[in-house]
Amino acid sequence: MMKISRQERMGLGLVAPSFFFLLVFFIIPAILLFVCSFWMAQAFRLIPAFTFDNYARALSNTGFYFLTWNALKNGLCTAVLTVVLSFPAAYFIVYRTRGNLLFYLILVSWFSSYLVRIYAWRVILGSNGLINTTLMQLGLIDQPLEMLLFSPFATIVTLTHIMLPFGLLLLVSALRDVKKEYVEAARDLGASQTEVLTRVILPMCYKGVVGAFMFTFVISAGDFVTPQLLGGRDGMTTGILIANQFRTAGNWPFGAAMAFLLLAAFLVVYLGFVRLLDLLRLAPGRRFHD
Amino acid sequence: MLRFYVWLYVAFLYAPIAIITLFSFHSSASLTFPFEGVSLRWYAKIFSDTTFLNSLTNSLIVGASTAAVTTVLGSLTALGLARLKGRIQTVFGLLAFGPVALPGLFLGIALVMLFSQVGLQRSLVTVTIAHVLFTLPFFIEAVRSRIEYFDLSLEEAARDLGATPLQSFRLVTLPIIGPTIGGAAILSFALSFDEFIITVFVSGNETTLPLTIWSMMRRAVSPDINAASVISLGLSIGLILIGGLLVWYQRRLALSARAKDLET
Repeated sequence: MMKISRQERMGLGLVAPSFFFLLVFFIIPAILLFVCSFWMAQAFRLIPAFTFDNYARALSNTGFYFLTWNALKNGLCTAVLTVVLSFPAAYFIVYRTRGNLLFYLILVSWFSSYLVRIYAWRVILGSNGLINTTLMQLGLIDQPLEMLLFSPFATIVTLTHIMLPFGLLLLVSALRDVKKEYVEAARDLGASQTEVLTRVILPMCYKGVVGAFMFTFVISAGDFVTPQLLGGRDGMTTGILIANQFRTAGNWPFGAAMAFLLLAAFLVVYLGFVRLLDLLRLAPGRRFHD
Repeated sequence: MLRFYVWLYVAFLYAPIAIITLFSFHSSASLTFPFEGVSLRWYAKIFSDTTFLNSLTNSLIVGASTAAVTTVLGSLTALGLARLKGRIQTVFGLLAFGPVALPGLFLGIALVMLFSQVGLQRSLVTVTIAHVLFTLPFFIEAVRSRIEYFDLSLEEAARDLGATPLQSFRLVTLPIIGPTIGGAAILSFALSFDEFIITVFVSGNETTLPLTIWSMMRRAVSPDINAASVISLGLSIGLILIGGLLVWYQRRLALSARAKDLET
């Protein structure tokens, strides 16, 4: 038996309430959901069973693949855009500014309610929306551009807008670990701007970039509200299908099975992304610093 | 170049919010330019809507309860984590971060499954439970970095000088980490106030503000949504600003006090 110090015993006592809360409202529900994905539903009632029917039903349906592809596509486009657009801003904040005013200004926009932002994009992109009416008044188009709203484009623009501040937060905290001195040393030793970026900064903040990418990806690929309100018929995703099982249609075990299949798809994307960075030699081969 | 890009980035973030705010004061129902005139009619309309007012009250109640519970749980956890080492700390840190690493959809359906299996009626209580689950990871993350720098030997010194554990907490620990905890509590409130994805599954008959905005959006595009949105935006952004200023002011006070100590 390992000896536990007084400090540690007190530490365990202090984290116990949260542990209990997370056990009851996070771990147990997740296990329950997994167990339920093997149950059956009859006339909106759950019947405990052990069947793979729910998984088989999802996997034998071509629609399921199509919707999952849509979800992954939303997630990937949003994650790429968020990281690519936020990285220069994070770089600027960490290396070119002294105060935190700009950083806070961006973070505050994160608290502009999620639904309000979806609504705002609907007003902007709609066929009577700001972009279309302005373009028509300027005489650049005669017909409103219908594809702006109710399309995957609208979903991705909105999700990117929602995710940018959070992505930036993660990237800034990752870049703060890469000390200015390393960057200066590399420049002094004759590295170009690009070399500093790809051979010093990126390998050192690798974890943060992967973290920002995956967070954005998971949250936007699993989002069902934005595609439902802005995605149109072609923009339907697995998330909407799962949400509907738990609201109207009512086959909970089927919904649970699809949720776990979606999580499995997320895991595949994660492994693929890490492999890709490895192949591009952007991942660190060894530890550079503590 | 880069500076220009960053300001463009900020403009992109704020433009939709600015547009909604502008049109919430529009005197006509049109949501397009040219802007015809300023009026408060949409605010008058929304403030006479009892559904809206009820859901606003509910959101404030849920936000305050969430912030209270999260602050207690989160502060204890952050203080506990500072005392733990090695694997236990890593494992618990990961567990505590789990709820935000998954899509809200997943948390929503898992919770609604739990509530239905144990027979707990969906109400503002279940909404609060869900919100605590969602805000706790953010709270712990926000407070943790500050507490990691907290020197445990300060507490020990107080204990050696005869303070009880409670006294050393109240007189030594709390004044140091207090402002951070206050800021994180406000953060929890704001996150709860805006939460929609999980809430949609776990709420019963009583609605919160985002649920009301959602049902307004599904009905028709009516300009009073603009007013409702701006009220919602104003409350959460205003709160965050107040919280931020509070933390900043406290830190400045502490710094100037320390500078004075050094002088004497």
